[in-house]
Amino acid sequence: MTAKSKFTISRRALLAGASGTLIASRVAWAQQPAEVKVGLLVPISGLYARPGTVMREGAEMAIDHINAQGGVKALGGAKLKLVVLDSGDTTEKAKNAAQRMVAQETDLVAASGAYLSSFTLAVTEVTERANLPMLTLSYSDLITERGFKYVFQTAATAGSQARQALPQLIKLAETASGKRPKTVAILTDNTGASIASAKAMREGLLAENQLQLIVDETFTPPLADATSLVQKIRSAKPDLLFFLPTVISDAKLLLEKMNEFGLGQGKVPTISFGIAIAEPDMLQTVSAELLQGVLTCVASWGAKGHEALIAELKTRYKEPWMTQNAISTYGDMWVIKDALEKAGKADRVAVGEALRTMDGGPSKYYPLGEIKFDEKGRRIGAGMTIVQWQAGVPVTVFPPELALAKPFWPKS
Amino acid sequence: MLRMRSLLPPLLFTLAYAGISLGVTNSYYQLILTLVPVWAVFGLSWNLLSGYTGLISFGHAAFFGIGAYATALGQIYFNISPWLLIPIAAMLGGIAGLLIGFPTFRLQGHYFALAMLAYPLAILYVFEWLGFQEVTLPIKRDAPIAYMQFSDPHIYTLLGLAIMLATIVLTQMIERSRFGMALLAIKQNEAAAEAAGINTLAWKLRAITLSGAIAAAIGGFYAQVLLVVTPQSVFGMLVSAQALTVAMFGGVGTVWGPVIGSVILIPLAEILHAEAGARIPGIQGVIFGIAIVCVILLAPEGLFWKLRDLLRKRTASKAAVSDIAEAAAANVTALKPASRQRGATGEVVLEVKNLSRSFGGLKAVQDVSFKLHKNEILGIIGPNGAGKTTLFNLLNGFLKPSQGEVLIDGRNMSGQRPHVICEAGVGRTFQVMRPFLRMSILDNVVVGAYVRARTDDEARKMAADAVARVGLSAVADRVAGELSTKELRLMELARAIAGQPRILLLDETLAGLGHGEADEVVAVIQQLARDGITIAIIEHTMQAMVRLVDRFLVLDHGAVITEGLPEVVTRDNRVIEAYLGKKWVGHAAN
Repeated sequence: MTAKSKFTISRRALLAGASGTLIASRVAWAQQPAEVKVGLLVPISGLYARPGTVMREGAEMAIDHINAQGGVKALGGAKLKLVVLDSGDTTEKAKNAAQRMVAQETDLVAASGAYLSSFTLAVTEVTERANLPMLTLSYSDLITERGFKYVFQTAATAGSQARQALPQLIKLAETASGKRPKTVAILTDNTGASIASAKAMREGLLAENQLQLIVDETFTPPLADATSLVQKIRSAKPDLLFFLPTVISDAKLLLEKMNEFGLGQGKVPTISFGIAIAEPDMLQTVSAELLQGVLTCVASWGAKGHEALIAELKTRYKEPWMTQNAISTYGDMWVIKDALEKAGKADRVAVGEALRTMDGGPSKYYPLGEIKFDEKGRRIGAGMTIVQWQAGVPVTVFPPELALAKPFWPKS
Repeated sequence: MLRMRSLLPPLLFTLAYAGISLGVTNSYYQLILTLVPVWAVFGLSWNLLSGYTGLISFGHAAFFGIGAYATALGQIYFNISPWLLIPIAAMLGGIAGLLIGFPTFRLQGHYFALAMLAYPLAILYVFEWLGFQEVTLPIKRDAPIAYMQFSDPHIYTLLGLAIMLATIVLTQMIERSRFGMALLAIKQNEAAAEAAGINTLAWKLRAITLSGAIAAAIGGFYAQVLLVVTPQSVFGMLVSAQALTVAMFGGVGTVWGPVIGSVILIPLAEILHAEAGARIPGIQGVIFGIAIVCVILLAPEGLFWKLRDLLRKRTASKAAVSDIAEAAAANVTALKPASRQRGATGEVVLEVKNLSRSFGGLKAVQDVSFKLHKNEILGIIGPNGAGKTTLFNLLNGFLKPSQGEVLIDGRNMSGQRPHVICEAGVGRTFQVMRPFLRMSILDNVVVGAYVRARTDDEARKMAADAVARVGLSAVADRVAGELSTKELRLMELARAIAGQPRILLLDETLAGLGHGEADEVVAVIQQLARDGITIAIIEHTMQAMVRLVDRFLVLDHGAVITEGLPEVVTRDNRVIEAYLGKKWVGHAAN
C-alpha cells in the first residue's frame, strides 16, 4: 500500500527524472562513443565451472587492457563491454543459453565460448543462424566441418595436434635419452576429445612415425581402480605411454598406481593430451614429485612473451599459472577488437566478414601461425604447445620459440 | 458426448498455449515454449507405464535416446527426412520397450525400478563406444522444410504442441478403456488383477511398448530442436530424472500431471538459470531442488491430486448439509432372506482330486479331494494355518499344485495362469481388500467385467448390473475412499461377479463385519446362490456360516478332516478338537 501511494505521489517527479536521465545520456553519447558488447558463453556453474571461470578471467583481463589502451580506435575509442552467460553443464543448457544470448543481447558483435566441444557444437548451431561470429578454443574437428561461416577455431584441431606433437616428442626423447622410442601404449578415456586424439594416432600417425602400438586400452571415467591398466603397462614395458584422461581423479589414480608399481617418475615416460593433467587442481590431489616430468600436449599455454600476463593473472586472480583457457580467451578478445578495427562499425555481420578476410600477422597469444582464418574457419598455421611438469609447475617446453624452460627426458 | 467433453480441456489448453506462443517474438522464450511440450510428452510417456501400473521406471531415457539417435543418424547416414524418421524412431522405441519389458517384468517393485535404471546407462556406453560422442544434424539449406529445419521457431512449438495434444488424447482414451482399467488394477494389486481375469503380463507389455514408442518419438523431435545429440544429453541420468520430476511434481497417474509439471518446472528452471545463475552460479539448482522437495512433502502425489482434493473438499463441505439425509437413505438396500432349495445334488462343476502343495518341508495342502456341485454353497473352515487360502490359491492359479488335479467342468485346469482360470468362469475375492480409493464404486467394479465384456459400454453395463445385485446402486457414484467396510466388502463382491463367473471363491468375506452387517452380506451371498452361482467360502466364524452354507469342508494341517452337512460337522469330535484342542472334546459333547 505504502509503496503504491509513494509511487503515485512521485510519478511526476519520476517522469521528470527519467527524461532528465535520457537527455543526459544522449549528451554523454554524443561526447563518448557507445560501448561495444562482446559475449562470453562459458560454463560458470556445474561440473565445468572452474575452467569456465578461468576463461572469464582471461577475457576480463583482455577487455581491461584493450580499454586502457584506448578502446576501438576505428569507432572513436569505443570501449568494449563483456557480457558473460552461463552455459551450464549440459548440452541442452548450453544451447538454451546461446538462444538467450542471441535473443536478448541483440547488440553483441561477436562472442567466445563454449569450453567443451559438444557445447560449442550446440551453441554454434544457434549463433550461426543468428550471424553472430563465434570464436572458440574447442578443438574437435567437427566444429569447422559443417560449412559454417560464423565460427572461428583458434586452436589446432585435435587431429592436427597429434600430427604435430608426435615427431616433436620423438625428437625430444631421442636427444634426451639417446635412443629412439619404438613401442607405445595408449590409455584413453572415452570422452570426445580424447577419442579424437587417440583415433588419429591409431589410424596412421603412429605408423608414420615408426611407432608400434603394444597396449591400447579405453576406459570410462571415472576409474574405480587403475590396477589392471597399470599391470598391462608393466608387463608390456612400452617406451612411451600416451595417457589421455579428462577427469582429474582418473589422472591421480593412474599416476599413483604407476608409482606404486615402480613405473612412476619417468620409468615409463608419460605423455598426455589436453589440459586436464595440467590443471591447478591437480596439485591438490597429486604430489608435485609424482607429476615431475609428465608431459602434455595442449592447444595453447602461457608461454614466452606472456610473462607480464602470467604475473598479472597470478596477482589479480591468484591463479598459479596461465592455462590454455586463460590465454586463449585473452587472445579471442584481441582478435575481436582487431576485427572491429577492420570492420569500422559495431555490426556482427561486418565483424564476421572482417574475421573471414583479416590478415592480422603472426599470432601473439595463440601458439605459432597467423591471425588469419581459412575457408573452414580454422586459424592458419595454428601450432600447439608441449607442457611439462617441472618442480610443481607445468611450463611450456615446446615449441622452442615459446619455451619458458628446457625440456628434460625423465631418466630411467 | 462424454468423449467430446473430455476432449475440450486439452483442446482449449493447446489453443491457448499456441496463442501465447504466436505472441512471443523473443526466440529464447520461444525455445522454452518448445521445450515445455517436449518434456510434457516425455513425462506422459513415463506416466503411461509407471503412473498407471505403479512400476516405476528409472530408465525412460533409454527410449528417448534411441529416438534421438535414430533421428540424427538416419539423417546423417541415410539422408532420410525427420518427418519419416520420427515415426521410425517411435517404432524402434516400441520394439525396445517390448525387448526391455519382456525380461524386466519378471521383477517387481524396487527391483524393477533398479533394473530399468541399467538400460540407458548401458546403452550410453554403447553409443560412446560406437564413436557417437557428438552428433550434429546436417544443415539443409536447400530443403529446410523437408528436413524439419524452420527459420521460424514458432513452428517447432506448434509441432511440439501437436505431439502433446495427440499424446494427451491418446492417454485419455487409454485411461477410459479396458487398457487403462487393466493398468490401474495392476497398480493396486497385481495378484487381484490376475484373479479378475486380466492378463497382466500382456497389458504391461502393451503399456511399455506404447510408452517406449511415445518417448522415442519425442526424443527424435528433441534431437531436431537441439540439433546436437550427445549420449549424455539423451541417455543421461538427468533425462530419466526429468520424466520422473515433471510427472511426480504435477501428479502421477493422471493425464494432466506431467503437463502441469512441465508447464511450471521447465520455465522455472530456465528463468532461475538465466536470472539467478548469472549472479550466484549454481544457485538455480539449489532453489529448484528446494521447490521440488517442498512439493513432494506437501503434495506427495503431485499438484494435480492435491488441488483436486482441495476442490473436492470445498464443494463437499458446501453440499454436506443436503447430503446427509440422502446418504442415510442411500444405504444398502436390504434384501429379504428367502429360503432356497438346498442343492448339492446337481452336476459337479468343480472337482479337486488329490491336490497337494508343499513349501519345502511344509505340506500346506495334502491330498485334498472334494466336489463342488452346481448351485451349492460350500463352506471351507478350519483353524488358522489349516491351508484354506493356499487351497484357494491352488484353485485359481496363483500357485501351481505339486500334485493332483483341479477339474473345472471336467477339464483339468491345474497349473493354468489365474486370468485363464478366471476366463473359465472362476471369480474370487480377497481376505485383504484392495479398492481403488479415488475411483467410484462403479469404476472399481468395471475392472472385473472386462473378462466377459467385448466393448467398454458392455463392461459398464455389466458392472452396473453387478453393483445392483449387491445392492449398492444408490451409492454407485461414491468414491471408494468414503465407504464403510461393509460397503467395501460388497463392492469387492460386485467386482468378482461383474465378470459373470459360474463359480465364486470368497476369502473371508465376513471378516471385520459387525453382527448386523454380516447378516446383510450373508443375504447378498444367498441371493447370488439363488441366481445360479456356485459358491465356495472360507471363514473362521462358524456362526454366520452355519446359516449360510449347504455343506462344510473342514481342513486341518492341510488335509481334509471331514465333510458334510453343517449340523453333522459342528458335532464332529475331530472338528472340535481341531478348533479347540483335545480337552474340549468332552465338554462339547454335552
